[in-house]
Amino acid sequence: MRTTFALAATAILAGSAAQADCAIENEVEVKILAAAFEAWKAVTDAMAECGNVQAELDQQFRVKQPSAFAANPALYQVGGVSNGTITPLLNEGTIRPLDDLVEKYGQHLKPNQLIRIDGNIMAVAMMVNTFELAYRSDLFEEHGIEVPTDYDALIAAAEKLQGAEGIDYPLGAMTKSGWDLALDFVNLFQSSGKPLVNDDSTPNVNNETGIATLELMKTLSGFMDPEYLVSDSTYVQQQMQQSKIAMANMWASRAGAVDDETESQVVGKVETAMSPIAPFGDRPVATIWWDGIVIAKNIPDDEAEAAFRVAMEGMDTEMVQANNDAAVWLIDGYQPGRLAQGAIATATHDPAPLSYPSTVEMGLMHTALGNEVSAYLTGSRSAERTLEAVEQSYLTAAREAGVLN
Amino acid sequence: MATSRALRQPASLRIGSAAFLTFWCLLAAFPLFWILVMSFKSPVDAFDASALAVIFGPRTIAEGKGLSVIDIAVGLVFLYFAVRLAFTRLPGLVWALTPPELAVLGWLIGCLAYAAVFVVLLFGVLPPVLGIIDSVAGPLGQPVLGMTTEHYRAVWVENGFYRNFINSMIVTGGVVTISLTVGTLAGYGLARSGSNLAFWLLIAALIFRALPHSVLVAGYLPVFINSAEILRPILGDAAPTLYGQPLAVIMVLVAINQPFTIWMLRSFFQSIPMELDEAARVDGCTHFQAFRRVIMPVMWPGVITTGLFSFLLGYNDFLVTSLLLDSQNQTMVPAIAGYFNRETTTTDQVEAIAAAVSITAPLFLLVMVFQRQIVSGLTAGAVKG
Amino acid sequence: MKFRTFAAFVGPSVFMMVVFIALPLISVFVQSFQVTQPVIERIEVETCSAGFLEQTCTTRVTTRPLLDENGQPQTTTEWVGLESYANLLQLDRVRNAIAAGVPERILQIDFWQALRFTLTFTLLTLPLVVGLGLAIALAVNNAARSIRGQVIFVSLLPFIITPVIGALSIRWLFYGDGIVTSWLEALMGTDISVAANGWAIEALMMFYRVWHVAPFAFVIFYAGLQTVNQDTLESAIIDGANRWERLKFVIVPHLMPLIVFIALIHLMDAYRAFEEVVGFSSQAQRITLQWLTYDLLQPDDAGNRSISRASASAMLTMIGIVIILLPPLRRTWRDHKGVS
Repeated sequence: MRTTFALAATAILAGSAAQADCAIENEVEVKILAAAFEAWKAVTDAMAECGNVQAELDQQFRVKQPSAFAANPALYQVGGVSNGTITPLLNEGTIRPLDDLVEKYGQHLKPNQLIRIDGNIMAVAMMVNTFELAYRSDLFEEHGIEVPTDYDALIAAAEKLQGAEGIDYPLGAMTKSGWDLALDFVNLFQSSGKPLVNDDSTPNVNNETGIATLELMKTLSGFMDPEYLVSDSTYVQQQMQQSKIAMANMWASRAGAVDDETESQVVGKVETAMSPIAPFGDRPVATIWWDGIVIAKNIPDDEAEAAFRVAMEGMDTEMVQANNDAAVWLIDGYQPGRLAQGAIATATHDPAPLSYPSTVEMGLMHTALGNEVSAYLTGSRSAERTLEAVEQSYLTAAREAGVLN
Repeated sequence: MATSRALRQPASLRIGSAAFLTFWCLLAAFPLFWILVMSFKSPVDAFDASALAVIFGPRTIAEGKGLSVIDIAVGLVFLYFAVRLAFTRLPGLVWALTPPELAVLGWLIGCLAYAAVFVVLLFGVLPPVLGIIDSVAGPLGQPVLGMTTEHYRAVWVENGFYRNFINSMIVTGGVVTISLTVGTLAGYGLARSGSNLAFWLLIAALIFRALPHSVLVAGYLPVFINSAEILRPILGDAAPTLYGQPLAVIMVLVAINQPFTIWMLRSFFQSIPMELDEAARVDGCTHFQAFRRVIMPVMWPGVITTGLFSFLLGYNDFLVTSLLLDSQNQTMVPAIAGYFNRETTTTDQVEAIAAAVSITAPLFLLVMVFQRQIVSGLTAGAVKG
Repeated sequence: MKFRTFAAFVGPSVFMMVVFIALPLISVFVQSFQVTQPVIERIEVETCSAGFLEQTCTTRVTTRPLLDENGQPQTTTEWVGLESYANLLQLDRVRNAIAAGVPERILQIDFWQALRFTLTFTLLTLPLVVGLGLAIALAVNNAARSIRGQVIFVSLLPFIITPVIGALSIRWLFYGDGIVTSWLEALMGTDISVAANGWAIEALMMFYRVWHVAPFAFVIFYAGLQTVNQDTLESAIIDGANRWERLKFVIVPHLMPLIVFIALIHLMDAYRAFEEVVGFSSQAQRITLQWLTYDLLQPDDAGNRSISRASASAMLTMIGIVIILLPPLRRTWRDHKGVS
């Protein structure tokens, strides 16, 4: 996320005082591998102030992280993970429990930040990310549209806005074939509160909810740019900025860009609200994600200790104050901005949206959905046969991975 | 070559041929010209649907970054002379100042020095001078063409792209040198041996070339990461972790490029008459001496041409470098791809375009300099294979 | 040349190819017949995940691999014969589709879809690349000497540019409200969405490939044209051959080995096309064989990847390439026999 001028100025001010910010002087070499996005950049920059820190924000991190942490000694001391990508590290036992380190150096952490698996603290979360409905308040006012809280209202709003002056399409969505499209399906499906994979690892998609999800996706696609199958979050963000769409259910971390004066033509005209609820469900169409740090197991204890202390320095209040709008932070000192309101409404709705499940099965299901759903949307396959194909493709992969027989 | 009357062409054919060539040149250059234009605009202008808005950049001007008619005129004159100089005086200077053995090094230094002077003049000297002229020139000094170099500054200065540039140079340089050394030896051996083994080696190389790289590369990663553990029994504590090492990546790229290199060099060697080595051998040279003293000196066109292809492969590679290098040793292409991941903004994309234009510039220079050698090299050898 | 000398010359090159290509290839070959799985256990785990204000803790039965005494996951490796190939080819679905009388359903299976597109892509672009390359070479050869240098330089640009960037530069012209799309819309007065149509993406991918590779064909052919025997040309003129006949009977036969060379290289490269899918984000509509392999190898969030199926897909790609290369290879073999 690019900061606006005012924010950039505060960042510079904070930056000049930053050297004094790091309370410790780090002597041990600490290396971090994380995904490449703005929040991680903020955190790793703050960590680097302690000295001897090397941060690697790599777009191939999903490929590299499991092997790099499995090596002995591990190639990185600190890893940046989300609730999706922590799974392989957890399963292969390459990260260490953090209870003693938290006791020693993490007294200030909120209980909410401590990710516990089986009672052990395995990760420390720094931010949550979820979905929110970003909409053009000026257009909504002009056409007398109430902010929709469910998808029937959203479709009605889209119908009213179809062909409206000043926009090309009423709706935008992150439906790029593959990972994004699969997540769209997962979000809609889980609005029902049902899991996509049963406890015994069998798939749970080929049912009425699945059909309803697919049909809803198709209805929505009618209000979108016909090129929606290449539309990723950057594309949606651009469409919003250039006033091509009037609303979109988008990542909370991306919504801030509509107020970026160097890129956006709609500064101040966009508001956010809770992600609406699907007709077949009772929760907002969203999944809740967190991002945070883990510490490698295959390293000496003193390195782990230094790494943890550095990480705590990176995730402190000063960092949050300097980068307030880069994410929905869990850290003390965070002031939710105007464009984060929707995300907070989504996350605090009752019943709350489900967390994205961190399981092996979910990874397989996500891939299967990403590969198969687009055939339904392009019209080359019926909803029933698409769900059968998803199920087939999941079963093949699950047998290959050994989670099903 | 005097054209005989019968070879002379009717006007229709000449016009048709010229028209076709013009069309092709437009087609070849337009997408690249367009990204060049985009890289100088504010993000909003760069992705505008109207071509005129992209070219003139109204919002870029509105931000106070524009060129006046005077600026454009002076800039064009400067560019014209810069290009002419590059084509005429630069080669002459390089030839005059460097001994023939060090020609490649001479070119490298010459080009770098030229580029440095060019950048300093264009971005350091011209803007302030023109700023003063514009302020007194009245209507001619009003900006008409939106243009900003801020993306280039962001890429090179703020994001430290020069580090990626250096890494790219290390990797590419290594690939070209090792690839050619190993390849000329093999190419010569294969060209001079008529045995079936040589043939089957060539066929095997061809099949290797056909392999999908993604499979190979994914196989390297775990081995490279754990190489310290794997090699410890053999090398003891000196066993290196190959992951992130430029040298390891160079080796992989050389190996992947070997099939093409040896095929190409083999056909060059085949075009050199056997009598040449035989004469040397009669004079008492071993095969290797004959290769080094007699054959290599006449092989330069072939080596340069093949080297250029190795250069392109090493310089443009994405799959291998993105997976096997860590960020300290990252080369330019994966660094650019990093601007396009899931979490990008429009500004990031325009910066990526600026980076993309920057990495194309050395390729431009390379082709400008070696263009004649490529054609003459190909004429001399490869085309007969 | 004695064998020992020969070995000394080719040794380093062969060594590198063996270590970095042949050995991985063998391991891919072996893995395509194996399936390696972790030994898993099913246990109830309580997971506490961060929410905005407070945590949500859930207790669920999850599967996780068993770790051995060194802390490494235990795995079993099984020989499964052709199962991975079967999973990829899904012959039963193919049979069903044919039995049901809807053969187009075969194309909904990833592998067959990829094969269909890869073959079309390879075979359609081949004549275009050769033809365009030859046409440019002839036109440049025909042009005034003074401008040849510049024309060759411009012509080579699409070839030297980094492939991903080249693909993106064309994508930006067409996708969304790209300027070329805007022109076309103005010309035809309708709304055009290039990326919404499979055939349009397909055409664009082919256009990119021809644009990118034709300069390579051009420069090779152009070099070849410089060595056309002028005497033969002159005598052809004396025999009364017109321009077209001279092209057909003198120039093209002279260039034939080069045409074979270009065809060979192009077949190989086009058959493992990959950048196009990434550059044009065509996954929803069109995929290629190498992209399929790559996709199977990409880990998902949970770190799963289908190594066995990817290996099988890679082997099938290899086999396909060898079949496609057979005709030109036979020619090389004849040449080799002729030389030695």
